Amino acid sequence: MSVDTQAPTNAPSSVAGSASSEVVIETRGLGKIYRDFWGRKKVNALKSLDIEVRKGEIFGLLGPNGSGKSTTIKLVLGLLFPTSGRAFVFGKEATEVTKNERIGYLPEESYLYKFLNAEETLDFYGRLFDMPANVRRERSEQLIQMVGLHRARRRQLKEYSKGMTRRIGLAQALINEPDLLVLDEPTTGLDPIGSREMKDLILRLRDQGKTILMCSHQLADVEDVCDRIAILHQGELKELGRVDSLLKVQDITEVHAKGLTEDAKREIAEVIKRHGGELLQIDNPTTTMEDLFLDIVRESDARPGRRVGS
Amino acid sequence: MRLKPDQLWSFYEWLIPQQGLLQGVALALTLSLFGLFISYVIAMVRLGPGEGFYAVAKIVSDLFRLDLPGTRFSRLWAIAKLSFMEAIRRKVLVVFVIFIILCMFAGWLLDLRTDHPAQLYITFVLSSTNLLVLLLGLFISTFSLPADIKNRTIYTIVTKPVRATEIVIGRIIGFSLIGSMILGLLGVFSYTFVVRGLKHTHEVASISQDGRQGKTDLAALHEHSFKLGADGKGVTSEAKGHQHNVTSIVVDGKTTYKIGPPRGDLTAKVPVYGRLTYTDRRGVVGTGLNVGYMSEYRKFIAGGSLSSAKWQFEGVKERDFEEQDGLVIEMNIEAFRTFKGDIITPVRGSIILRSPDEKVESKRVNFLVKESLDRKIISRKIDGFRDNQPATLDIFKDIVMDGKLEVIVRCEDSQQYLGMAASDLTLQAIERSFEWNFAKGYISIWLQMVIVICFGVMFSTFLSGPVAMVATMSTLGLGLFGSQIDHFFKVQDSGGGPIEAIVRIVTQKGVMLDLDLGNQALEKTIQNIDYVLMYGVSSLKSALPDFNRLGTTDFVVYGVDLFDSLLLRHMAITFGFFLLTSFIGYFFVKTREMAA
Repeated sequence: MSVDTQAPTNAPSSVAGSASSEVVIETRGLGKIYRDFWGRKKVNALKSLDIEVRKGEIFGLLGPNGSGKSTTIKLVLGLLFPTSGRAFVFGKEATEVTKNERIGYLPEESYLYKFLNAEETLDFYGRLFDMPANVRRERSEQLIQMVGLHRARRRQLKEYSKGMTRRIGLAQALINEPDLLVLDEPTTGLDPIGSREMKDLILRLRDQGKTILMCSHQLADVEDVCDRIAILHQGELKELGRVDSLLKVQDITEVHAKGLTEDAKREIAEVIKRHGGELLQIDNPTTTMEDLFLDIVRESDARPGRRVGS
Repeated sequence: MRLKPDQLWSFYEWLIPQQGLLQGVALALTLSLFGLFISYVIAMVRLGPGEGFYAVAKIVSDLFRLDLPGTRFSRLWAIAKLSFMEAIRRKVLVVFVIFIILCMFAGWLLDLRTDHPAQLYITFVLSSTNLLVLLLGLFISTFSLPADIKNRTIYTIVTKPVRATEIVIGRIIGFSLIGSMILGLLGVFSYTFVVRGLKHTHEVASISQDGRQGKTDLAALHEHSFKLGADGKGVTSEAKGHQHNVTSIVVDGKTTYKIGPPRGDLTAKVPVYGRLTYTDRRGVVGTGLNVGYMSEYRKFIAGGSLSSAKWQFEGVKERDFEEQDGLVIEMNIEAFRTFKGDIITPVRGSIILRSPDEKVESKRVNFLVKESLDRKIISRKIDGFRDNQPATLDIFKDIVMDGKLEVIVRCEDSQQYLGMAASDLTLQAIERSFEWNFAKGYISIWLQMVIVICFGVMFSTFLSGPVAMVATMSTLGLGLFGSQIDHFFKVQDSGGGPIEAIVRIVTQKGVMLDLDLGNQALEKTIQNIDYVLMYGVSSLKSALPDFNRLGTTDFVVYGVDLFDSLLLRHMAITFGFFLLTSFIGYFFVKTREMAA
């Protein structure tokens, strides 16, 4: 195995998919069987998974509930021990604690101490990285600003809404400026705006050169941000590849044009027919619900108190 | 106060000659080997012989290679602080409120008609504090880690570079801190409670014509009589374990009497203990007589013979006794009468002070055996003999040599017997501060609390909260009955161990009969298995804390300065338990799937 364990350079890989060949996560025949107290087999959650996540890419694990996404993530983090095969992170065994120095993890729900406030939470997790006090303060301040919790910084986490909890969870995952971010269902529980922000943030972090492993069953999210995905079903790897190539339908051509008259459309249809093509659809596109919603919110922010479109 | 012989050992004596250290190391080795063996068996079943061995070896090597060197104070402190805050959030300070309420209703629980109200008060505060703090330690330590695992907050901890050592030790530190805080609060409150509870004054109720003798009024269920010296100063008689200073003040030709606050009820006596040997009727060194009591605590010497009890004291320093009128000896000697005779007159005894080289000795100092705690002051200048020639001696300059002194007690009435144990005759050095002794009592409770927390945290690494609590309680319970358990598991000459006993029950053979199963090999096997079983349990027993022995409440209650050597020993034992439980806890955290 040749895995570069040196600290990554911080040179941003600006365009999507410009992942280097440096492997950050590698699993080899990774499998997990859950057993009951008596050692009897209960469920085979993951069967011989082989994936590689390279530096600077956003890797998505996709699949229905119970497909083994979370199990994979927990195995990679060392929260579970594999029944068969091995997982390596930065070239180290996944069960090794020192790998955590460079990892940020956002769990499915933010499992944080509810009796701490935002500042205390970040200070606590900063201490776990043995960060000096001034660095901790500086970093907490930045993150609180970044996730927009500066007004709620002194409130205990038990008073937080779901979205706020999610954000402090994210801040917590970024406290050590990790090279690898592991996100378990990053957008669940977020409203469309929060969800959009989260996705933008993930893309920004990727552009800063960070590697991201995320799992989700929100297909739109995965489509929006992931460079590569693995689709799991019943613990087995079903598909693995680049999102753009996986989704590309080879024999269909899509044309987007603006300001065409009905005559022009008719003419185009004839051209297609003449070239032996088959016209599948010529229509005005609909926007997505997400875009519609975001437009409305943006509009009402700009002109408060008025019904949008009136 | 009855002392166990081992309580008199110095720290070094306990550690090395009495094998305290050796036993600790032996226990650690036994447990480690046992633990490794069990782990290997489990790993072998799961992973196969080769991989299993590798897995166990990896965990051991991780401890020394990665986790111990990787342990950082910053992380320890973060986890300690979190545990502290968590405990506060769980409203542990309620314990303090409970204690205050308990003290408010103390009047219902305490019978103030006792002869020693100070002892009663101190017993009350110390034992209730002890109980409350141990329960507190039990609850906070056993529920924390299981709650973290259940709420999955542990996910965000173990995915940081936190070592298993830090998870365990950080918790122990955090809970010990909160416990210390509460114990401190209780201590200060208890002290105030005791001092204020005992505080009282008397007025003079009657005075004799010459103004030299008088009686106080009845206050706090007792009264004193007093005598005044020519200087108008005096002390009252002792009642309820204390005295008062009395001074007469003449103002404008009118005499008033002022009675001070109680004194002598809150003490920290510093007894010097000696090593006791007996001689028999012919003066030959022996073991002392048994007059037929079950208890072997006291041995007896015969009266009117050469039979004697000799205490050899070491570390008798002049400056420790200087401010007193002479050498203060406290005795608690028992008399055993072989004939009734005059039951009112006490049996007579005598004391001789002798130098260790036996060349200088004092004259015989006679005393009447009081059969309860008796205080005798032998004045510093005393007649005696030097090389068998009469001489006037100074106890500290002539008789004591290099801090060594011998005290010989004889029974002067023939056919009567005097019984004594080593702790029944002590030299009393100058008293120390009661406050410090009280504090030492609390340090002792603190040590017990830390042990409870260590065990609680250890069990919580692999058991759920309530189960961990029961496990901790059982451990403490077993520890409490440790000495009794030891008795059960001692391999005895007759009757054998558990398996042999079952065989005997089934075959209806009494313990005095030979087992005789008609098969020598079978008998031998049964006996060997029994031996291993009983030895195993008996050695495991020393892995349990014996709070009977770790409790030092008696010292504070009876006003005896808690020996520093004993406190030091308890600290060492606590540290041993800390190491043991941290190691086991580490092992479980390390091998546990936190997300399972």
